[in-house]
Amino acid sequence: MLLPQNLVKEALWKASSTGADYAEVFAEYTNQKNISMVASKVDKIADGIISGVGIRIFKGTRCVHGSTSSFSPEAILACAQKVADALSGAREMETITLRERRFGDIHPIRIVPASVENATKIDLLREASETAKNYHSDISQVTASFLDVDHNIMIATTEGLLAEDRQIRTRMMVNAVASKNGENQTGYHAPGARMGMEFYETFDPKSVGEEAARQAMVMINAGYIPAGKMPVAIGNGFGGVIFHEACGHGLEASSVALGQSVFAGKLGEQIANPKVTAIDDGTIPNGWGSINIDDEGTPSQKNVLIENGILKSYMIDKLNGRRMGMASTGNCRRQSYIYEPTSRMTNTFIAEGSDKNDDIIASIEYGLYAKSMGGGSVNPVTGDFNFAVNEGYIVRNGKICEAVRGATLIGKGAEILKDIDMVGQNLERAQGMCGSSSGSIPTDVGQPMIRVSSITVGGR
Amino acid sequence: MNYQEFKNAVVKYATANEIKDYELYYTKSDETSVEIFQTEVKGFNSSNNLGICFRCILNGQTGYASTENMTEEEAESIVLRAIENAKSLESETPSFIHKQGDTYLSYEKEEIVTPSASTLVDFALDLQKEIYAQDERVIDGTQAVAGFGSFEKAIFNSNGLDLADSGKFDYTYAMAIVTDGKEMYNGMEVKSGKMADFDKTEVAKEAVKDALSTIGYTSVDSGAYTVVFSNKVMASLLSVYSSVFSAEAAQKGLSLLKDKEGEIIASDIITLTDDPLYKDALSKATFDDEGAATYTKNIIENGKFTTFLHNLATAAKAGVKTTGNGYKGSYSSPVGINHYSFYINPVKGSLEDLFAEAGNGIYITEVEGMHAGADPISGDFSLSSGGFRIEDGKKTTPVKGITISGNFLQLMKDISSVGEDLKFNPFALSAHRCGSPSVLVKNINIAGK
Repeated sequence: MLLPQNLVKEALWKASSTGADYAEVFAEYTNQKNISMVASKVDKIADGIISGVGIRIFKGTRCVHGSTSSFSPEAILACAQKVADALSGAREMETITLRERRFGDIHPIRIVPASVENATKIDLLREASETAKNYHSDISQVTASFLDVDHNIMIATTEGLLAEDRQIRTRMMVNAVASKNGENQTGYHAPGARMGMEFYETFDPKSVGEEAARQAMVMINAGYIPAGKMPVAIGNGFGGVIFHEACGHGLEASSVALGQSVFAGKLGEQIANPKVTAIDDGTIPNGWGSINIDDEGTPSQKNVLIENGILKSYMIDKLNGRRMGMASTGNCRRQSYIYEPTSRMTNTFIAEGSDKNDDIIASIEYGLYAKSMGGGSVNPVTGDFNFAVNEGYIVRNGKICEAVRGATLIGKGAEILKDIDMVGQNLERAQGMCGSSSGSIPTDVGQPMIRVSSITVGGR
Repeated sequence: MNYQEFKNAVVKYATANEIKDYELYYTKSDETSVEIFQTEVKGFNSSNNLGICFRCILNGQTGYASTENMTEEEAESIVLRAIENAKSLESETPSFIHKQGDTYLSYEKEEIVTPSASTLVDFALDLQKEIYAQDERVIDGTQAVAGFGSFEKAIFNSNGLDLADSGKFDYTYAMAIVTDGKEMYNGMEVKSGKMADFDKTEVAKEAVKDALSTIGYTSVDSGAYTVVFSNKVMASLLSVYSSVFSAEAAQKGLSLLKDKEGEIIASDIITLTDDPLYKDALSKATFDDEGAATYTKNIIENGKFTTFLHNLATAAKAGVKTTGNGYKGSYSSPVGINHYSFYINPVKGSLEDLFAEAGNGIYITEVEGMHAGADPISGDFSLSSGGFRIEDGKKTTPVKGITISGNFLQLMKDISSVGEDLKFNPFALSAHRCGSPSVLVKNINIAGK
């Protein structure tokens, strides 16, 4: 246990002294290492311990949160007192009983990365980096990094829960720059998993460098896409960022409970094309966005968000669940003890459909094939979203033609969901970091190839 | 243990491991904020955090390790981990622990009195009332937030350098949500500085005005337009592309400005300044994150690119002196490079003058998705935007659902007028922020209908 049980109990007791009906102690000890390489030489290594305690109390739908970097009993109890001081009622809770629960770990780790010396990781990274550099003479620079995180958490609440989890993740990232005639274009590939070093036995590290370099080369030889509204086929894997931005954030209870989402009050309604089924599943073994328990101690679960176009569920944490009168769906997450946790995504994807990928391309007379997507963002209030296309091609008469750069897709979430009129069959997930109010957390996005009948494509 | 005891322990372990060149970097921050929903306090958040980073030079390489836990074991661990990491490095950039002897600028520090928690709550509750009072179209979901924070930073190294800095700030923001009965629209206003200077009515009014301004928006036909970028939007663009001015990016082949010092890279009305002590900055910097003295310099002078921003390592590699721009993204990050108050100098003419000069075009007041749609390495941007039409020299109807596209360096060359309304990004509470006046650019590609 990160903290002694009697200290945790004392902190909960103090925190709940002014009328709170719920108190929670979250303790964290994280070891994070990031090895970065420039031109295949190890350039920098960041190696840090993140540790501390976050304490939360609720009274009805009111929440108070405090955090401290110290593990000393004095600092933790002072934090509990400070949190309690924000309320001014009389004690409601008579006793606190903690019952330890073991939820188990469905994410086996064969080789804990922290137990492996730098040299092994550097060799893997160098292989990826050199493959990118040697891909073509126009590849002018390659930067690469190797990340491993060992995130230990402990959660205790006045509901009696006492639980722990150890979340180990690793990720390799390669950025390739292609240069020609004074122009630069980049390519990027970054697979990751909730796995140990055995992750790198599941694929050839060379393929990471190759993919980044291939993308940079395609784009340096591409022209700019003409701007306009057109049908778009979005490739599988990271293409799923469209659902993450256009809809996922709007289904988080943090927006829904406050009426700040266009999807608030729409459970049971047809909000998407009947071809769309979307799922958030934190229980995928060794998935990048997977968790055994969320940061309130609720076991993670598989939530069908949209089934055949009908809104079935939101992603809910305990606090917003109170406002909505609904139970937690195991989606409460935080970057670290410093951040107040709230409802977030885990592994979120559009399920496979019935259309053939070839038919999707063949159906487009003139449009865009967005093979690989970059990041994006959304305003959940208006539903306005945007995201960048990292690798795109013009589609003419049902055939994929020349590569184009500089495309950005924009639209409104509620409209785009109805315009997804073909869903293919090659579901794949891809890794990302999602930034929101409770910090930056690992999430998977995913989908098979889909078609959006009409969307505004930014270009020149 | 306290910081002094931890520091002594680290020195002991560094000495025992025969480490001669090392530095200890310490940060501490306290922050408190309150958030209002409907007419009640929804959340109250208070954090006290610290972080310590040890770095040392071994065989010409700088190894790093950091912690947030001040114990005897961690003191030994960060020394051993930094040594271990240094052994794995192969960097061709020289390593430095800064020496004493710099002359540091000084400035008069304004005393900010930290408000009490109840002052904060009252302020936010009143602000929330003001937002609802502005317009009957304001609906629930609207939020008022107020907060204050303070930070401490200290650098101590084996050359006897021992520097410390601290600062305080208050902030508030209003997010207003309005509806026209069909759709929701939101608007935002942010203020930072001293709580006593914040005008609640003005903050509420600006947030609601921002939300209402987009009601009834339409898109425009795709094509090339004359565009006025608002000061806020231009400051955001500058912020995303500021890394092109970093010597580190250039030396690693990741900047479009590589080998371009002395060349004309922008329109001759552009002068870009980096000022560590700019008068209204909430926090100012007299030393950088390696302990080197800071100073004010022009990065672009009448269109000519004068110098990259340097830290000790990049300066040594380039054979120049550091510009005092050594920067750690967080206490645990390796030393990189960043600017301070970094701004395009105002010229003359009001926003209305720029509209008149534009004749017909688009006034861009909003861009979204900077981290995705703007690439600092290629310079390309393609960004979801909103704003207003400019017709016959006047601002008219709202525009949304469009994207603007181009290349940052081309944009800097294409700026044909610079206004006088210099404004800094209000979200940046630290010493590192960007600012710009509104600017006029001809021929920007817009995607719409």
